[in-house]
Amino acid sequence: MIVVRILLLVFFQAFFLRDVSPLGEWTRPEWTLWALLLIPPQANSFLKLTLGFAMGVGLDIAMGSYGHHMFAGTVLGGLLPALHRLFAPREGYEISDHPILRDMGSSWLVGLTFSAALIYHLALMLVSNWYWHLIPGALLPTLTSAVFTTLCCLVLHLMVYAPDRRKSSS
Amino acid sequence: MRNLWLLLQRNAFTLAFIALMAVSLSVLLRNDGAARSSWFKQTGAISYMIDHQRHGWSNYLRLAEQNAELAEENAELRSRLLSMDMATEWVEDTVRHWTVRSGMLIKGPDGKPRSPSIATPGLDGGIEAGMGVLSGGAAFGTVEEVGEAHCRILTLMHSGTSWSCRIGRHGPVASLGWDGMDMGLLQLRDVPRHVQAQRGDSIFTSGYDLRFPADVMMGTVFDVDRHTGADFMSVSVVPAADFKSSRHLDFLVHQADSERTALSSTELQP
Repeated sequence: MIVVRILLLVFFQAFFLRDVSPLGEWTRPEWTLWALLLIPPQANSFLKLTLGFAMGVGLDIAMGSYGHHMFAGTVLGGLLPALHRLFAPREGYEISDHPILRDMGSSWLVGLTFSAALIYHLALMLVSNWYWHLIPGALLPTLTSAVFTTLCCLVLHLMVYAPDRRKSSS
Repeated sequence: MRNLWLLLQRNAFTLAFIALMAVSLSVLLRNDGAARSSWFKQTGAISYMIDHQRHGWSNYLRLAEQNAELAEENAELRSRLLSMDMATEWVEDTVRHWTVRSGMLIKGPDGKPRSPSIATPGLDGGIEAGMGVLSGGAAFGTVEEVGEAHCRILTLMHSGTSWSCRIGRHGPVASLGWDGMDMGLLQLRDVPRHVQAQRGDSIFTSGYDLRFPADVMMGTVFDVDRHTGADFMSVSVVPAADFKSSRHLDFLVHQADSERTALSSTELQP
């Protein structure tokens, strides 16, 4: 299911959502991150790393950006276990916890999404600019893009896991 | 091996992360020109810095070895320089009226304090008593007695005589002689303690004894010993002429020798 979700989002981002950027370089969303963030926090670290890498490979192939997303996806996949540990509740994750608003709460969801988006955009910014003198100028657009990606992921999240749906299901 | 396996297992995630990062970077560098140039610029600077540092350490660690090599090379160059100095060629000095006649040594010094040396020619070759004799351009001795076809030479390796010489071309005049002990070393006598002399200094003829012109190579200072409380220092000298293997000799002839002899004789003095 996770793999299918990633493949679908890669497809949509590459062919339909790639131009959804209202303020140009200041708001470049990475929609596929949402699929990665839906990996359960209890999952194996290797799975997170592998899926991060695979997501990057998929995006690179679909968007023709050889290596950029692969690098950023690997960084995020490698740091995702640490992020999950960082945002873990005091008593730890329950076996039945899913990384959704209903189970983890809004602060967990927003915090984790923004942190992951920031890491991903920072890694992308590093491999897009490369030269040290270009990096200070790219920091602010990276930050705003991370915020925009967070908003996009939350919108997707609310669309798929809508609160009223939760109520009706329960 | 088991420990290594356990270590790999323990750090498997980190190793996998590093491996995937390496794959990503290699794909990136292979396809992105700007990334490639920046990467090589950065890594080139770092590798240069590391190599420079490593080179510095390795040079520091090799100092002793290099020092020994340099000392050896220095010694070889010094000995070559010394042999070059000794291989001086005497050129006839017609400006100062000195010419040469060649001869052959048939009996050289044998290491005994007062052993005579015999050479050819004698009177038949125009050789006269008192002429200076050179070997290989260096002072060898003086003609002591002349026969019809042979002559007897008083060499520097004769303990019964001394030679006027100079330390360096413009140094003080001293007396050079042999103590009859070591055939490889002559002794400078009457050198005041304050005179500057050190190992390697050249000793030349002063020209005062009328047998040699000035500035003919006699030898090289081997050792200087300033004894405490003594007015004079002892200086040992390696002779420039090779007394053990000399064959060809040059007899020095001064064209106005009779005039010099007459002027220097005691009969004319008041």
